Amino acid sequence: MPTEPVIIVHGGAVSGVHTYGSSEARVLGVQAAALAGWEKLKETGCALDAVEVAVCSLEDNPTFDAGTGSVLNQAGEIEMDAIIMDGKNLDTGAIACVQNIKNPVKLARKVMENTHHCLLVGKGANLFAEKVGISTVPLEELVTEISRQKLELCNGSYEDRCKHAFKASNVKKCVKHSDGEHDTVGAVAIDVHGNMAAATSTGGITAKMVGRVGDSPVIGAGCYCDNVSGGVSCTGHGESIMKVTLASRITMYIEEGLSAQEAAEKALDYMFNKTEGAGGVIAVSKTGEVGVHFTTGFMSWAFVKSGKLHYGWIPGENHTRAVE
Amino acid sequence: MPGAVVLVHGGAGKIPKANNDVDNQARLYGVKSAATAAYEALLAGASAVDAAETAVRCLEDFPVFNAGVGSRLNLAGEVEMDAAIMDGRGLRAGAVGAVKNVKNPVSLARKIMDLTPHVLLVGEGASQFAQESGVQLVPMQELITEKSRRALAQVKSLPFGIDPKAEEEEEEHGTVGAAVMDTAGNLATSISTGGISGKHVGRVGDSPIIGGGIYCDNMVGAAVATGQGESIIRTCLANNIIQLMSTGMAPQQAGDSALETMRQRVSGLAGVIVLDRHGNSGICCNTGHMSWAQLKDNELSWGLSADDRNTEEISL
Repeated sequence: MPTEPVIIVHGGAVSGVHTYGSSEARVLGVQAAALAGWEKLKETGCALDAVEVAVCSLEDNPTFDAGTGSVLNQAGEIEMDAIIMDGKNLDTGAIACVQNIKNPVKLARKVMENTHHCLLVGKGANLFAEKVGISTVPLEELVTEISRQKLELCNGSYEDRCKHAFKASNVKKCVKHSDGEHDTVGAVAIDVHGNMAAATSTGGITAKMVGRVGDSPVIGAGCYCDNVSGGVSCTGHGESIMKVTLASRITMYIEEGLSAQEAAEKALDYMFNKTEGAGGVIAVSKTGEVGVHFTTGFMSWAFVKSGKLHYGWIPGENHTRAVE
Repeated sequence: MPGAVVLVHGGAGKIPKANNDVDNQARLYGVKSAATAAYEALLAGASAVDAAETAVRCLEDFPVFNAGVGSRLNLAGEVEMDAAIMDGRGLRAGAVGAVKNVKNPVSLARKIMDLTPHVLLVGEGASQFAQESGVQLVPMQELITEKSRRALAQVKSLPFGIDPKAEEEEEEHGTVGAAVMDTAGNLATSISTGGISGKHVGRVGDSPIIGGGIYCDNMVGAAVATGQGESIIRTCLANNIIQLMSTGMAPQQAGDSALETMRQRVSGLAGVIVLDRHGNSGICCNTGHMSWAQLKDNELSWGLSADDRNTEEISL
């Protein structure tokens, strides 16, 4: 019996009242990405293709901190991380600290399909990009005015910025400190064959140290996907997510019998208790149930299922409209 | 309160041929020395993290192991190393991927944990931080051995190039690691590797992946892996072992079970050393060979495989 296809995307968990970009741009962006992924699901019936297309859409959208619109590191450059995972046999491809690539998720897919490896970093990742014919773009094409402003206005330590950017549900306190927030992107899908895929992509956190890698390209942390349980993509305070292996924690809870939503909530609670870090997750179980949860002020998300597009930004929000 | 425990391994691989006896003696000497140095440190009041760092530094300095000096070479003939350290208190962690010219990558991982707000630094950024943090830097030649050169030449001669499963097929012996409990009952783990011979430039394996090759939580236990890196990462091996122990499973059983799951899911083979929060240990390996040593209650145990268990009393 064919499975009902589902695709869900997120555009990043952010702290409080944002001063950069608009909530409207973020919501429109995740809607467009979810719909693009949905079209791909209908066209090829392949979850892997769908998450790649959805994440590319978010990478190309300068509103989000991935691909174009990535934030800048301490040296004023862009270093990007991305991962894609195939739930069928746990095949994975990831890249970290790659530069001047328009769509890091595409490069991650090449790592998965063209090498025996799972993760390539730095100059090695860029060398591989050349080898597989993925062209580079000038840094200026990826940098936005907002990313520059975020770096310039960054004062105080990285820890302070993170505390303010990712303090759980700390909306009021964050009004004065809305720099440092970032919008990692991700997608999870299940196709008509019951195969699952997940992907995450990011430029990281403003003013991170050169060479810093967060949770996004780390299997089990920023992303995990296994046909026997489910698929997950995460966003938020990277170091906290890594320490509790957030994505694989969620798939483990699903395997233990929790719903995707329960698993998402339990895992984020666990992370807060252990590390005081906050974030957001999207999850799809192997039966196509969807979970969305975030402990930051806001997270843009959207999913398509049963002919309807669902989306939200504020906690508890769940708007719907029909999809053709 | 359980006393100090040190458990180290020198890498997993295939059952060695007879003419490897000299190397096996060197491996045994290495793991025993590393375990002893770490245990002595614990008895002198060092923390689990200090001892875990000490053990792996010792292994990195022995050319027979594929870490620090003696690291295998990437396709370009260079040494790029991965390492990590994790403190069971508060899940603090530091990791480094694809770093060059650092004599003891585990010490760089420690600096990342202690001195930065980050967990993982890679590539040139990691090298930059290495310079700033004061860890010892060496010319790459000092890390390269004749054995590493031969291993690369052998991979390059294969018709289809590198096969990551080769790590447990030939003489390849991988990652080194340590799991430690100090006299206060705190746990720490450490890990270091040069990776697979002929790996793509910039390839990072399981070692610096928290939850993959390494994990440590005072509330549950500690696990450190060695073997086919990509398989370890894809199945979140260390994480799985910790989860099994959190349900009450003993360390030996948890390690064996997780390795079997990994073998069934992705056909990968590996070795792993495990400690629970009571100081009980597990030595698990399905590749056929893994040099290891343990010091506990003044008793030194060691072996060349998970089934090879030798013991002697020592006085320190």
